[in-house]
Amino acid sequence: QEEAQAIDQELFTDYKFSVDQLMELAGLSCATAIAKAYPPSSFTTSRPAVLVVCGPGNNGGDGLVCARHLKMFGYEPTVYYPKRPNKPLFEGLTTQCQKMDIPFLAEFPAEAALIDELYGLVVDAVFGFSFKGAVREPFGSILSTLERITVPIASIDIPSGWDVEKGKADGLQPDMLISLTAPKKAAMHFAGRYHFLGGRFVPAALQEKYALNLPPYPETDCVLQLT
Amino acid sequence: PVSSRQAFPLPSLPRKQPTVLVVCGPAQNGAIGLVCARHLRIFDYEPTIFYPKRSPDPLYRDFTTQCEKMDIPFLSYLPTEVQLINDAYNAVVDAVLGAEVEAGEGREPCAAILATLKHVRIPIVSLDVPSGWDVEAGSSGGISPDVLVSLSAPKQCARRFLGRQHFVAGRYLPYDVQKKFELNPPKYPGTECVVAL
Repeated sequence: QEEAQAIDQELFTDYKFSVDQLMELAGLSCATAIAKAYPPSSFTTSRPAVLVVCGPGNNGGDGLVCARHLKMFGYEPTVYYPKRPNKPLFEGLTTQCQKMDIPFLAEFPAEAALIDELYGLVVDAVFGFSFKGAVREPFGSILSTLERITVPIASIDIPSGWDVEKGKADGLQPDMLISLTAPKKAAMHFAGRYHFLGGRFVPAALQEKYALNLPPYPETDCVLQLT
Repeated sequence: PVSSRQAFPLPSLPRKQPTVLVVCGPAQNGAIGLVCARHLRIFDYEPTIFYPKRSPDPLYRDFTTQCEKMDIPFLSYLPTEVQLINDAYNAVVDAVLGAEVEAGEGREPCAAILATLKHVRIPIVSLDVPSGWDVEAGSSGGISPDVLVSLSAPKQCARRFLGRQHFVAGRYLPYDVQKKFELNPPKYPGTECVVAL
């Protein structure tokens, strides 16, 4: 977890990347990975409906960007975003989604069965690699419900609620994990079908410095399928 | 950046090193060139940048830092001897002037650069508007790019484009903006952000 934070720090402080830039590239990677693993034609629901659950931090921001790109790729995303930071970055991302007619739910579906009926996929953008400590409401109940759905879950960077290094045996079991920048330790406990790498912005010098040993991305793709 | 790659896949480049010269003007078109150079680097090309008039805009200054920190060299001058450019690079990315320039005015400082670019023999990839062209009428006697990447939507002068490939990069435009301006964009394949016209 510390290494991931150190890499981020260098990207922002030394390389002068803005959070906006990297979040946009991260969110785009997520949408692209999803499109590769779950093409709209593969949905059993009548429309390619996707529920994007966004948490209170940067992982949630990644989810908003992802939702917007999913819309452009022909999906029908719906966002649930209960705790919104008071910062222009997140307000902007929210506006972009709203202006693209992406609905924002006022309430989280009460039952897992309802989610299974309405959506073909859930994107878990609740907590990321900075997550520490106890899960606060409303996210505790949200994660409990998500643990009971049968439609696939695609988690952004870390399955929400998992310890960032040790995982969580009785927590969320996502079908897809999109590791951003580099896989985190928790990824070793990932047991789903699809593991993608996204966030193709790490300069070679940083990759070497932190011995990331990332396999090469294909051509100009912004994602790499690891499994 | 993706479209530059599609036009010139790495294995096809004539020189041993996948070198590309990215010429950046003082405004937004130049800044887009900086972002393009950074992505080219990630895609394993070897870009070199010529960016003589740097914008004071903090966002664009950060783009410059990102490129510098990624070891992308910045030339201190552009060789006037065209053969040097032809020999050193596989292609030139023209990010000098975009659609924002008023006729006459902003073009003067870039005139010398454009005069040199007019004579290069290696392919030129122009971003949005071939630099020096009038945004609507096009140009006679200006640079002749091999590849044009229209940003958002093709500008009127694109009708005069005679090069090999014309790409549109505008997948980020929301539908209501597309409708409002009657853009009728083509369908983008899969998850691609550019489409060849």
